Amino acid sequence: MFLQLVANGLVTGSIYAIAAVGVSLVYGILRLVNFAYGDFMAFGALIAFGVNGPLHQSMVVAALAGMAATALLSLVLDAVLWHPLRIRRAGFMSLFLASIGLALVLRQSLLLAAGSAPRSYAVNPYRVFVLGSVRLSEAQLIAIATAAGTIVLVGLFLALTTWGRVLRAMADDRALAAVAGIDVGAATRMAWLISGLLAGLAGVLAALVEYSFDPNFGFQLLLPVFAAVVLGGIGSAYGALLGGLALGLAQEVSTWSGFAGGVNPVYKPVVAFSVLALALLIRPQGFFGQARVG
Amino acid sequence: MSILASGGFWAFVGVVAGIYTILSLGLQVQFGFAGLLNFGQVGFMALGAYTMAILVVKEGWSMWLAAPLGVAAAAVGGLLLGLPTLRLRADYFAIVTIAFSEIIRYVATNETSLTGGTQGTIALGPTGTASQYNGQWAAFQTHLQHSLGFSSADATMLVIVWTVGVVLLTLVWVALRTPWGRVLRAVRDDEDAAASLGKNVFAYKLQALALGAALAGVAGLFYAWEFSFFSPDDFEPLLTFFAWMILLLGGLGRVWAVPVGAVVFGFIFAGTRFLNFAPFTWVASDERAYIRLIIIGLIILVLVVLRPQGLLGNRREMVLE
Amino acid sequence: MSPILEVEDVVRTFGAVRAVDGATFAVEEHSVTGLIGPNGAGKSTLFATIAGSLKPTSGRIVFAGRRIDRTSAYRVARAGVVRTYQAARVLTRMSVLDNVLLASKGHPGERLLGAVLRPGASRDHERAARARAHELLALVGLEAHAQAYAGTLSGGQRKLLDLARVLMLEPSLVLLDEPMAGVAPALRVELLEHILAVRRDRGITFLVVEHDLDFVMQAADRVVVMNEGRVLTVGTPAEVRTNEQVVDAYLGTAH
Repeated sequence: MFLQLVANGLVTGSIYAIAAVGVSLVYGILRLVNFAYGDFMAFGALIAFGVNGPLHQSMVVAALAGMAATALLSLVLDAVLWHPLRIRRAGFMSLFLASIGLALVLRQSLLLAAGSAPRSYAVNPYRVFVLGSVRLSEAQLIAIATAAGTIVLVGLFLALTTWGRVLRAMADDRALAAVAGIDVGAATRMAWLISGLLAGLAGVLAALVEYSFDPNFGFQLLLPVFAAVVLGGIGSAYGALLGGLALGLAQEVSTWSGFAGGVNPVYKPVVAFSVLALALLIRPQGFFGQARVG
Repeated sequence: MSILASGGFWAFVGVVAGIYTILSLGLQVQFGFAGLLNFGQVGFMALGAYTMAILVVKEGWSMWLAAPLGVAAAAVGGLLLGLPTLRLRADYFAIVTIAFSEIIRYVATNETSLTGGTQGTIALGPTGTASQYNGQWAAFQTHLQHSLGFSSADATMLVIVWTVGVVLLTLVWVALRTPWGRVLRAVRDDEDAAASLGKNVFAYKLQALALGAALAGVAGLFYAWEFSFFSPDDFEPLLTFFAWMILLLGGLGRVWAVPVGAVVFGFIFAGTRFLNFAPFTWVASDERAYIRLIIIGLIILVLVVLRPQGLLGNRREMVLE
Repeated sequence: MSPILEVEDVVRTFGAVRAVDGATFAVEEHSVTGLIGPNGAGKSTLFATIAGSLKPTSGRIVFAGRRIDRTSAYRVARAGVVRTYQAARVLTRMSVLDNVLLASKGHPGERLLGAVLRPGASRDHERAARARAHELLALVGLEAHAQAYAGTLSGGQRKLLDLARVLMLEPSLVLLDEPMAGVAPALRVELLEHILAVRRDRGITFLVVEHDLDFVMQAADRVVVMNEGRVLTVGTPAEVRTNEQVVDAYLGTAH
């Protein structure tokens, strides 16, 4: 039973991790907490549904389509909304409020276009794989394999490629990076691109695992994802990865009956936040964040 | 178009604007005057409403005792939230406040024996009964209606809400002109400078948070009385965002900008019901609800980009940056 | 004269960087003590540590016989140690008068309950505070700007406002962080005179970080020289000026 929960936790956690890296990259470059991120994920999931359902394409094609569409959306929004705000030297508050307005517009547009009826991908929910004492559905297996692969890829990208180093450098000290000759505009677009791809992927995987989803599910994911980013330390992509995994595991494992009966599963999101709150009390900057002065 | 002429409808809009005025006033104290990024205001509203309803239905309390306790519960909620979190960075704090209001909604949804769960306040009493917390209030309202000679309950509620609203607005306005208010504004503008002047920044922030929460609690009470029934989903983050939009509309850092923002918001929200012309007629009427919210979202975006100081704000005093 | 401030072996690290690396010195009461050193010597960090906005990694700071190294910034200010910032941190969105009024000590109206329950006491204190604030503004020559937003003041004027605020706080020790920075030469003389007058008339002790060595030579009784996080030497301005180690330290960095 415990191992099953660990496996479930890894599934949830790796999805959180992917999404959290996307949030973190954008925050690192733009100091923008993208409140519309959850709806980006929903957008990706729905596009994938459109490709998988009515167009009868395989999940792989659908997922790629969802990712590409979300990346495109991110870039378009940067040009249309975030760039004008940057030109006006908008501060943190303006950006936060704008992302809330954007979230509202995006979610309601999705509801308008797709309706609130739940939908599912064309996968078999009853196909189960058994590994020892752990049972995973086909969806969960796909999710964890894809997510694991993505995490490794993202980790390697950040560590080894020039772009990866550029993005990390900018998250550390944007002014310094600009002075060092980094093309801030190109780096910004790269961050949105990757962030969009990751959001699309996370959305598709989350929808896959949940089996049935509607346009509102993005917001439910958003809060644990933000919690993961904060836990990992705002601005640190590696931290976001760790934070996502840690929270996913904590959430699932907390329901284990070995922990004095375990937490009621409906309260899993509350667990995520309790973990976050506790962690912040002990270490206010998260795993890898920069300490607050004074 | 006959609904346009219906006084009852506009009275209802006025009541909602009044409730939002009180809710947003709380937010104005927290953000406009203390600089706190509270995105969980609706959670305090829920605390006020639920505390009152639970005390009336389950404990048989008089409404007039339960109501102040509801406000107190909201204020205590503010204290409990603020104590561990106010020392966090602004962006962390904002996220934690959203989590706070969502956790409250979660608990309200799942602790069915305490709150009636997803069925809402109707299920507060023993199973099988449809309970009502509004009896005393309805009686009071009817009594007042007759005394004042009004023809409709809506008009009466309108008067009550706005009377309380104006009283609260005045109290807040007066409080902010005291030396206490002066320190609060200093904390908002530069908390390190305020600390170097010997001010206990944390204490002031906590007080502002709790006061704003209490005001949200009052808004919650009026929400409960106006609709005579509510469920956890009534207290979703969307309401907090409406309150933020009202602040943006009216202007940050000005007490009397709040009712202006709320009334304009009320008109926008209600006005979008009357989109009985193309291209809006192309969509089904229930889908127009989505369009209304899209319009509101777009308005927030436009305001943030073009006029962050709101309708009445002073650009020099603009708090947004 | 006894030391009003004792800094004992204070260390402050940021990760691997030892910004302050074991600083020890004492500040005599009623003195104007200069704190100089090349850029990066750790002066600002030390200031922040004394004022309480940073906690030292190790070491002791004793003010008037009380340890303050673990005390939070606002309590340090209340204890009588007031710090000014290099760029005077006036509250730009409030009036000049309000800026000074904020510095009023022990105002019952500033407590929420006090404002509500003791309106009489609050009004009285406010009246007295206003009178004193106007006095101080007149002293620094800003009386005419009392109602203007502090944000409209020039750099030099903001320093004067800062001074008025400091005086309102009735401190025992003032930490002046580069008071001459960004101030027009003509105004520097006036500022110096104010500082010396305040020391003379009110007995306030000043610890001044300053790059303008002319100022330090003219105003300081003693000078503490820091380099690379440690105290290099302490002496009178004349002694320090001719000290070889000090000259080396300065020549070694861009100034």
